[in-house]
Amino acid sequence: MTFRTGVIVGFCALLGLVWIIESGAADVFLEATRSDFQKIPLGVVGIDHVGGPESPEGRAKLGSRIEEVLKGDVRRSLVFSLVDLSNLGIKAGGRGGEPHPSFKQAAENGVSVIVWGKAGMKTDTKTPDVSMDGYVYDAGSDEVVGGKRYAGSTSVVRLMAHRFADELVFRYTGEPGIARTKIAYVSQQGTAREIFVMDYDGFEARQLTTDGFLNLMPHWSPDRRFLVFTAYRNRNTQEIDMIELATGKRWTLVSQGGLNITPALSPDGHFLAYSSSHEGNAELYRLDTRTKVVQRLTTNAGGDLSPSWSPSGRELIFTSDRSGGPQLFLMSADGANVRRLTFDGDYNAAPAWSPRGNWIAYVCRTLKKEYKLCLITPDGQKRMQLTTGPGVDDSPSWSPDGRHLVFSSTADGKSQIYMINADGKDLERITFTGTHNSAPTWSPAS
Amino acid sequence: MKKLPAIYLPLILGILVVVTPACSKKAVQSGGDAQTLQQETAKSGTTREGTRRGGVSPNFPDTAFSGRNDSSSLRGLDRDPSEERLSSEAGSNGGLGGNGGSGSNGNRLMAKSDPGAAARQLAEIRAEQIASAAAELRDVFFAYDSFSITDEGRHALSNNAEWIKSNPNTQLKIEGHCDERGTSAYNLVLGEKRAKAVRNYLVELGVAPDHLSVVSYGKERPFCTEHAESCYSQNRRGHLVVRTGN
Repeated sequence: MTFRTGVIVGFCALLGLVWIIESGAADVFLEATRSDFQKIPLGVVGIDHVGGPESPEGRAKLGSRIEEVLKGDVRRSLVFSLVDLSNLGIKAGGRGGEPHPSFKQAAENGVSVIVWGKAGMKTDTKTPDVSMDGYVYDAGSDEVVGGKRYAGSTSVVRLMAHRFADELVFRYTGEPGIARTKIAYVSQQGTAREIFVMDYDGFEARQLTTDGFLNLMPHWSPDRRFLVFTAYRNRNTQEIDMIELATGKRWTLVSQGGLNITPALSPDGHFLAYSSSHEGNAELYRLDTRTKVVQRLTTNAGGDLSPSWSPSGRELIFTSDRSGGPQLFLMSADGANVRRLTFDGDYNAAPAWSPRGNWIAYVCRTLKKEYKLCLITPDGQKRMQLTTGPGVDDSPSWSPDGRHLVFSSTADGKSQIYMINADGKDLERITFTGTHNSAPTWSPAS
Repeated sequence: MKKLPAIYLPLILGILVVVTPACSKKAVQSGGDAQTLQQETAKSGTTREGTRRGGVSPNFPDTAFSGRNDSSSLRGLDRDPSEERLSSEAGSNGGLGGNGGSGSNGNRLMAKSDPGAAARQLAEIRAEQIASAAAELRDVFFAYDSFSITDEGRHALSNNAEWIKSNPNTQLKIEGHCDERGTSAYNLVLGEKRAKAVRNYLVELGVAPDHLSVVSYGKERPFCTEHAESCYSQNRRGHLVVRTGN
């Protein structure tokens, strides 16, 4: 090794170190994904319904509706464990100030956080308006640590609960929480498949496209403003489109012959990776969203598709059938340094890199020829099967906190959308209507 | 370089920034073999097959991520909280970045949608179906995971080729379809392989390639939806359609 090379190597090594230090913030996280993580016991005394008429939207009183949404959020946070307070005789406290005497008793029974509040219709406004107060008692400091006051139209009732839940998660972890995240997906409408967006818990679905044919595999921009997806607007060719959620404005990003599928924006939003067969077979490309210059990343006779970015944006995991059946491969974001990651089984596809960076979720075909979710570490050292049983599982997508996955499955007959913890627990179905819901993709945190 | 005074550190870091592009990941991982480094540099210099703009729109907004929107970020618990007004998600910045208190306009559906599109698509599909049925074109069926054309498929395509050659003004679309097993994404690739296998065999039989186009629908437009092989075998097909419109 010459001195010159040595110096360059030294620089590169040092640079690697700088990278590690710089990106350290993104890679260090609360170990709430560990199975031995001690969840914080949290009890909800209740959200009382106060004053005014009941919500016109449903039979349930406003307070209990908010309480139900809040409890679902607390349970799914995986930061808290939801404690049943009904046997402890705990009373709601006042706003701020001194904690209610019964809170001490709850603390002695191991409850760390107590939440209560009230909600009602505002009667002093022209349009039906909702207000909600929520308060938090912390047993550790034995004080009411604070609260929130929300107001808005009847369409934001669920959002009030979600936002309050995220404030709780933020207070105890410094993370933004996932209760205000969204899931974009594909839903059958007549003979067409259109793009929809719903809350992460399956509620408040709204339709984004009405093309009347096929729109497939949506993917979020990192700022949650846009979705990129595959559209067949004229039925005969595919293009990659982008839609702005706030306005419904559409752009065609890529339109050329052949397949134009599985678009994925990089974590910094500067690149769109996608698969296209316009030069023959399906290859991966990278479009610079600023200069609009396209770079081809793969060159081989097999099909390359489904790129998913590492959280740092420096690497891609993708599906390729260059060695026979589909398998997962890794490469640098510029197409260099390709290596195969999966060797178990003859069908591994649809990879999704965890926002924590530590796992890659994908669809694996089992010995029984079932299509299930698997996880593998980026170094290939650890691998596990996450789902079991009948049905074709597809399109895993991570929650921004890396603790959950959303995916589609035909386990109950028709394709529907499900959520599962990264440790395989708490399988929860989140879509119940329609003949086909698929390709879920979880938004970044807000 | 026995003793490197700390004063040089900023200098080195500065040079590092300049040298960064020369440091390929591969070189770092392989311990920096000089030859690899030069090869990688050379490669990135020519950027493979060069850059191209074909098929890429020059006009779409920058998707660069400039950090979280302040107005949507959490404000923390407060001992004496002031009122936070929440607006309907559909009306704000995607609801999702949030213009905090811009008031609600609870559009459930996006503004630029075209409600007539579905009806138009249906009418066009119907026209294609009628023209295709009149031509009595036969479909080609495939084995599980396979895009090889069977003897039966060859026979069907021979008949189709005769019809196409005797109707030289016809444009034909070959749709590749798959059964529900496997992933959506990979089935789009498999569907294209099936459609291309059909096209290639028709060309072998003397059909002019410019009369044929291919499109893959993967498992997204199945002919039947039961979870049984009797249904799967129908969905693994190359479907020939007479194009009537564009």
